[in-house]
Amino acid sequence: MELTSSVLDLNWSEVETKIRYFIKDYVEKSGAEGIVLGLSGGIDSCTAAAFSALAIDGEKVLGLLLPEQETYNTQDIDHAKFVAEKFGFKTQMIDITPTLRLFYNTIPVFEIADKICKGNVKARTRMIYIYYYANRLNSLVCGSSDKSEVMMGYFTKWGDIAADISPIMDLFKTQVRKLARHIGLPKEIATKPASPMLWPGQLAEEELGIKYETLDLILYGLEHFMEPEEIAKQLGLKRELVDKMKRRWLYLEHKRGMPLTTKIEYRTVGADFRLPHTFY
Amino acid sequence: MKEKFKVALAQITCKRGDKKGNIRKIEDNVVRARKQGAELVIFPELSVTGYVLRDQIYELAETIPGQSTDILEKLAGKTGTHIVFGLPELSDKTQATIYNAAVLVGPDGFIGKYRKMYLPTHSVFEEKRYFRPGYQTAVFETELGKIGLIICYDIFFPEVSRLTRLKGARLIICISASPVTRRTFFETLTTARAIENTAFLAYVNLVGIENGLQFWGGSRLIGPNGKVVAKTKYDKEDLMIGEVDYSDIKPIETFVPILKDLRPELFDKLKENAEKL
Repeated sequence: MELTSSVLDLNWSEVETKIRYFIKDYVEKSGAEGIVLGLSGGIDSCTAAAFSALAIDGEKVLGLLLPEQETYNTQDIDHAKFVAEKFGFKTQMIDITPTLRLFYNTIPVFEIADKICKGNVKARTRMIYIYYYANRLNSLVCGSSDKSEVMMGYFTKWGDIAADISPIMDLFKTQVRKLARHIGLPKEIATKPASPMLWPGQLAEEELGIKYETLDLILYGLEHFMEPEEIAKQLGLKRELVDKMKRRWLYLEHKRGMPLTTKIEYRTVGADFRLPHTFY
Repeated sequence: MKEKFKVALAQITCKRGDKKGNIRKIEDNVVRARKQGAELVIFPELSVTGYVLRDQIYELAETIPGQSTDILEKLAGKTGTHIVFGLPELSDKTQATIYNAAVLVGPDGFIGKYRKMYLPTHSVFEEKRYFRPGYQTAVFETELGKIGLIICYDIFFPEVSRLTRLKGARLIICISASPVTRRTFFETLTTARAIENTAFLAYVNLVGIENGLQFWGGSRLIGPNGKVVAKTKYDKEDLMIGEVDYSDIKPIETFVPILKDLRPELFDKLKENAEKL
């Protein structure tokens, strides 16, 4: 297999159809009245929100803008509002700064310098707001995680990953960018550097230590059972870099599934209690 | 025996675990197809129960003949049609041995069943975990000629269709639950199996979404020359009628004489080498 960017090219019209069909079908069968999602103004959430509005009536889709003081970014807010207007779905903005402060002030062991722990509080706080709205509105939470993030475990457990459906989760970041362009998102949003917005200046590529264009090809190779040696050779990379990404992918599987238990009884949740995800 | 008759490709969405609802949908399609002159109505793999059942299959499997088959036998009798449908079959000799089965009933009752031989257990498929494979191909003498049954992944193994054809089937029916990522394979293989066996091949696929798997539909009746006689829509429920005319086989078989040119000694070599793979 030749690892070039063309392997990530898909028939975007077909992909669009599949995603719209998936969202519509799931919402209808579940009996939910709509979709709620966190809308950061980044490429993933803008794409997931746009698809939600394309799949069901935009009036039934609510994008929650949940900014907070430290990472407040006017451009992101503008992008989120632009996408909402273009695709005809509703938005609501709530400043979560006071809630976050309450957490910081009431957790006895809170350490301001530990930006990861603090950042995870932000991701999980956003999740609480999103699920509150979904519960109140009898709606589903639509996640916006992509395959690059999920394979890398680059998300907050029970935070930004939390959702009822994740319609773009089988597409790498660079594929989401192309798909976003296909459905009419502006280049400015589609090519914007990704950030989980957990602390000021946080950039996904810097933190992962690799450009998505390269990462996605490594992950594509690993997905297709290619040896790291071959991936490194084809992409002109150091073997250590490919090994590092492979390790990260394998070791963070625990973030992607049900919590592990020890088998005691006849049938065990998350192990051999094998049921369909839904009966819809 | 009829040399010419109409076949209905009944491409339906199934609600998992809802046998009553699925059987009602089968009844509705049979009645509609019969009104359009169809004498044979074909439904997808596991159409009575839905495909992605996982452990729920132990509650849904039933013997063949059994409750669901009895209902559909009566329907076939009442409407004067032949019906092919899919069902998880519980062995009548054990309590939890299940087959992935295709059933053929006709105006005079139960005709026969086929137990899927090749059970996909890779990627998203986990059939070997739940099903015991069948060990026999199935060809049945009917008023509509000799009909052979195969199921989905069987079509990847040309020997199943070939054996079915060699036992005299001029119409091979393949019922299926194929997700959209496999569409190209099935579109190619259904045509190939019809051509290489100079037989009619009716392929009926599931449609809809189960557990995130999107079934693509695209059911079709293919003639012995590889031409698509009738084809349903992609991704939507559909009912399409096509005509089987066995007289179409002779001109193809004459000048594309695949069956005449078979080399049985190669089958021994095939066996010998497959064992060493």
